[in-house]
Amino acid sequence: MDVLGRGKVVATREDMLTYEYDGSADTASPDAVVLPETTADVAAVARFCHEHGVPIVPRGAGTGLSGGAIPVEGGVVMSFARMARILEIDVPNLRAVVQPGVVNLHLSTAVAPHGLYFVPDPSSQKACTLGGNVAENSGGPHTLAYGVTTNHVTGLEIVLSDGTIARLGGKAVEDEGYDLVGTFVGSEGTLGMVTEITVKLTPLAEDRRTVLAAFTTMDQASETVSAIIASGVVPAAIEMMDNLATQAVEESVHAGYPLDAGGILLVEVEGVRDGLEDARERIEAICRANGASSLRLAATALEREKLWAGRKGAFAAMGRLAPDYYVQDGVIPRTRLPEILRRVNEAAASRGLRIANVFHAGDGNLHPLIVFDLRKEPDALRRAQEAGLEILAACVEAGGSITGEHGVGMEKNCFMPLQFRPDDLAAMRRVKDAFDPAGLANPGKVFPTPSRCREFSLGAVR
Amino acid sequence: MTTRLEPADADECARALAGASAERRSMRIAGALSKAYLGELRATDVELRTVRIAGVVDHVPADLTITLAGGTPFAEMAAALARAGQFLPLDPPHADRATIGGVIAANSNGFWRSRYGGVRDLLIGTRLALADGTLARAGGRVVKNVAGYDLDKLVVGSLGTLGVVVEATFKVLPIPAASAGLSATFARAGEAFAAADALVRGASRQEAIVIERRSGAAWRLHVGARGDRPTVARAKSDAARAVADLRGSAEPADDVASRLVALRELPAAAIDGALVRAALPLAAQTAFAESAADLDAFTTLVADAASGIVRVHLRGDDDAVATGAVALLMAARAVGGSGRVERRAESLRERIGAWDPAEPRGHFLMKRLKDAFDPAGVLEPGRSAVG
Repeated sequence: MDVLGRGKVVATREDMLTYEYDGSADTASPDAVVLPETTADVAAVARFCHEHGVPIVPRGAGTGLSGGAIPVEGGVVMSFARMARILEIDVPNLRAVVQPGVVNLHLSTAVAPHGLYFVPDPSSQKACTLGGNVAENSGGPHTLAYGVTTNHVTGLEIVLSDGTIARLGGKAVEDEGYDLVGTFVGSEGTLGMVTEITVKLTPLAEDRRTVLAAFTTMDQASETVSAIIASGVVPAAIEMMDNLATQAVEESVHAGYPLDAGGILLVEVEGVRDGLEDARERIEAICRANGASSLRLAATALEREKLWAGRKGAFAAMGRLAPDYYVQDGVIPRTRLPEILRRVNEAAASRGLRIANVFHAGDGNLHPLIVFDLRKEPDALRRAQEAGLEILAACVEAGGSITGEHGVGMEKNCFMPLQFRPDDLAAMRRVKDAFDPAGLANPGKVFPTPSRCREFSLGAVR
Repeated sequence: MTTRLEPADADECARALAGASAERRSMRIAGALSKAYLGELRATDVELRTVRIAGVVDHVPADLTITLAGGTPFAEMAAALARAGQFLPLDPPHADRATIGGVIAANSNGFWRSRYGGVRDLLIGTRLALADGTLARAGGRVVKNVAGYDLDKLVVGSLGTLGVVVEATFKVLPIPAASAGLSATFARAGEAFAAADALVRGASRQEAIVIERRSGAAWRLHVGARGDRPTVARAKSDAARAVADLRGSAEPADDVASRLVALRELPAAAIDGALVRAALPLAAQTAFAESAADLDAFTTLVADAASGIVRVHLRGDDDAVATGAVALLMAARAVGGSGRVERRAESLRERIGAWDPAEPRGHFLMKRLKDAFDPAGVLEPGRSAVG
């Protein structure tokens, strides 16, 4: 407590309760919570923890879905809530320099008067922080055309777990030597803490067209996605929802989604006005050719916002179906969508679970949401996690990944061997050891841990 | 005597690396040797060429991804993609000779980076042969993937110092239907870069925004656009307006694409003197370009103005070239960017280094990574900026 002074430390059981959770199903209690206000504070805490062999778990808004901010091995949770300033909006260089606690949407709002925005737009963008986005390499619906967080970060200031401060990259598009910025982004707090971020700002599109297409079956919707991608039109977003997800969203957001559709697509194209009508016509023609039962163009900005509010509010809307849900985040090659979606649904149905699908179809990034009521079915979470594992195994088998944007965290670290062989993991371990030789930076995440992973028998699903 | 090795596949390549590590034999890692001028070249015991580790491993056109063996010629990949109506949106120098692995290891970008992303943005998976003889995969074959550390990024630009790229997967795109271009001349650097800047901020997404200056000539802007017909028409009219707004004279230019290819190949052409390459914050380009053009040894400047990558070819008397090169590296560093002497004549090798004498940011971490991946220090010793 002496390291920072009383006002920056939370140490009573009661006050620490909120730091036991994030957006995932996991919980664990921290030994202490610190609220640094400067890079020097962060370094001081890290030095102290390093000296005493105490783990540090960085935390943004706690919206993560893979348990990245949960102190699974105890230690100090470091909240970046008080390092939340936009330090510089550098319009001539198309960059902004921010502290890690800045909320994603606040940055885009702040730079909007300059006709600019920050591209990655996770569904939690009203709450999630840029530090968290860097840690998780976050995506969002609109990363299909423009890439995820790592494609929009050029510089970082980081603090290693021993308190060393390092500046990496800068405002230029690249720096000499190894791409340490690219190596650090997406490392989930396991290589150190980020204390300052230099991001690219992108000119806002002149205009856009947002089309809602309804299909009788999910297969038709899936085929449409492949056909759009292959046609040469590069939409800014292609999102898909199944019937159950549509119903839940419609009840909570009233976005005007058709309730009788087996699957719906939300397709958006943006850019200069001149090409948009052509692109819209091509997309609508592809939808029709694949059996779309109805097509709706968002006629006004308000209507567009509503359609997106439905999509972005989908996870929250699951409460309409059941009090609890478990979401997965597998990725597959886009052409395998119909087949894998069937397997996803079987994985849930065979365990007596209800499943809603709402996901980034253009990227092949699935988000199956398994919904249940723990009060009525106490073992539902276990069954849902089993189904989740089966789904991820199917994704890997199809040539995909166990996580597209939610991260590995402590939720999927035991599943890493599904996707990576021991030699692959050993190569990653070399990076870990170079940044964090003492192993104090967010331990128990990303890599399988012998203690927690023993109970997972991957053989059963391989 | 340098031993030449040409492993037939990834496993043989990995074994060769393990052997070199065990015997502490230093190794050059090369593909087609198109960028054999890059970095500090020390004589090595072994030269390992990847040319036999070649071919398309997998291409599912509908997934818009392609997987290639590391030694595959870039041109061979381009041809395979073209047959499916697709392309890798990357226009590296030496595209006629370079291999995929070399393009990755040298972080070899062209002018399309701002529009489509660079090597680091297009590469979604790699398989690496490491110094201990293991083969490690990173990333995958899907366009979105955050499982584990992004070793793909680490290997881009690592110049063979961390391992050998034996396989790579990229995202690709359908070949656009239409293209257009425009060239213009300007009296001053400020006007040319201001026109470029207007396009960078504009609604149209141009494919290439390049500024050229040759000693004694005017500043020239070359703009290329590709996409569907209405978008390209708009991009061209936006470019024409930006030129007019800054008092440039537009030239009729149906051959902008071929001009851009010639400019992109400056590193191939700059066999004498020194070629300095700077990565700058966008707004720092004008002043940098102006001071470059004032140097005694100045001959040619080519800037990817949308990305802030500026190349300056200096020629003439060695003293003037060396002084100019050092001045440019310092100028790049002073504005928060970085610079390197990408290529220099044999006679200059002792006088000027390839890298800025100031250590790159995060150098101590780079050293640790190098030691972790190549503890025996056999892979391209001394070649990269990491040392």
